[in-house]
Amino acid sequence: MSGIRKHLRYVSFFMALMLSLGSVWSSTATAAMVGTGEMITGQEVQLDRQQLMDMLEQQEVQDKLADMGVSEDQVRDRIQNLTPQELAEFEQQLAEAPAGQGVVGVIVLFLLVFIVTDMLCATNIFPFVNCIR
Amino acid sequence: MFFLFPPKPASRLVSLLLILLLAGCSTSPKWPAADDSTASLQTRTVLNDVPFYPQELYQCGPAALAMMLNSQGLNTNPDILRDLVYIPGREGSLQVEMVAGARSHNMLVYTLDGELESLLREVEAGNPVLVMQNLFYNWWPQWHFAVVMGFDPEKQTIILHTGTRERHETSVEVFANTWARSDNWAAVILPPDQIPATATALQYLSAANDLETTGRTNAAMTAYRTAERRWQDQPAAILGQGNIAYTRQHVQQARKHFDRLVTKFPNEAVGWNNLAHTLGELGCNDEAAIAQQCAAALAPDRFESQVESQSDRVHPDHCSVPACPALPQSRD
Repeated sequence: MSGIRKHLRYVSFFMALMLSLGSVWSSTATAAMVGTGEMITGQEVQLDRQQLMDMLEQQEVQDKLADMGVSEDQVRDRIQNLTPQELAEFEQQLAEAPAGQGVVGVIVLFLLVFIVTDMLCATNIFPFVNCIR
Repeated sequence: MFFLFPPKPASRLVSLLLILLLAGCSTSPKWPAADDSTASLQTRTVLNDVPFYPQELYQCGPAALAMMLNSQGLNTNPDILRDLVYIPGREGSLQVEMVAGARSHNMLVYTLDGELESLLREVEAGNPVLVMQNLFYNWWPQWHFAVVMGFDPEKQTIILHTGTRERHETSVEVFANTWARSDNWAAVILPPDQIPATATALQYLSAANDLETTGRTNAAMTAYRTAERRWQDQPAAILGQGNIAYTRQHVQQARKHFDRLVTKFPNEAVGWNNLAHTLGELGCNDEAAIAQQCAAALAPDRFESQVESQSDRVHPDHCSVPACPALPQSRD
């Protein structure tokens, strides 16, 4: 155990180095041919996003949002900010939701997202959530 | 069914209760309701040209794969495939290797969405479906591969080549339960110039890309071409053809594909970027610069406006670049 501890500093230094290198690389613009798989993945994400957006069109969803005092535009912005992974999680939860409960499920998920961002003080929609900051 | 004791009235009552209890637990799968869209699923369908190979002990994988491949006109058999997909130590085949094994025969493997209706639709369209089942329980799995090659809506049965049984008819409840325990895994295996009946554009393109990344570039090229014909709104189908041509050093061909891509999808920055690289390699440096600027203008976070791949070749006289929607048209 102490053997590992002794090297921990070097290990973490190495990890930090890798992390920073990784983020530097990913932030530079692409200067090479783009692979087909990359485009397909991008298009899939777009489709996921679009499907969520389409759900906002439903009257039932809009009524619910109005009840909660959330505007449709706010939700749209929020969807734009979701990462592909978060989107995929939404899609999966939606798929697992029992038939007929899709709409209510979406609302609950949105609520979750808003509450989390509120806790981080990124948004201020639900005043009853106390900020971590 | 095993009876531990002769059925007396009391034990009959117990088993009746048990059956009722068990029936309460399981959700019985529904045959797609009869309406206009499912009319074709309401008549008995059997794909008679799917060959049958009885499995040898534990070797349902090679047998099922042989049936799938030979139904598409290939000429192989379970003995040959055993080396590809059978692991003697585990007495079985891995799902991922079944897929890879089919791909290595230049076939496109399309995983279905897991709905019973999709499975029936594929069979109805003439495509046998490879399914994975768990014949026992989640806590004591007995994995199995079989080929669905028919169905009978009247009797509510699914018809499979399975194990040592040819055209085995099993009730849709039993099938759905064993299939659900494998997360409803099902796939069709087709030559790359065909499209599964239930295919969606991006899923199909993704399957085509799997062929490309595993080095089956001829098959991938065919699949991309097939996709382009079927789905006019998919830039990736053209990009794929261009990228394969580029990898093969067929730069002139690649340029034609990318040219078509940016003409049809002028707002797709990726197309302009790849066109820029191709033009640069051909020696069309000015045109490459324009294409690269276009990519950068459309997606500034992603692409730089500076061309990297400049070539020292003399400027050929066949250089040209389509009009970019994001740049002012003052270059002429």
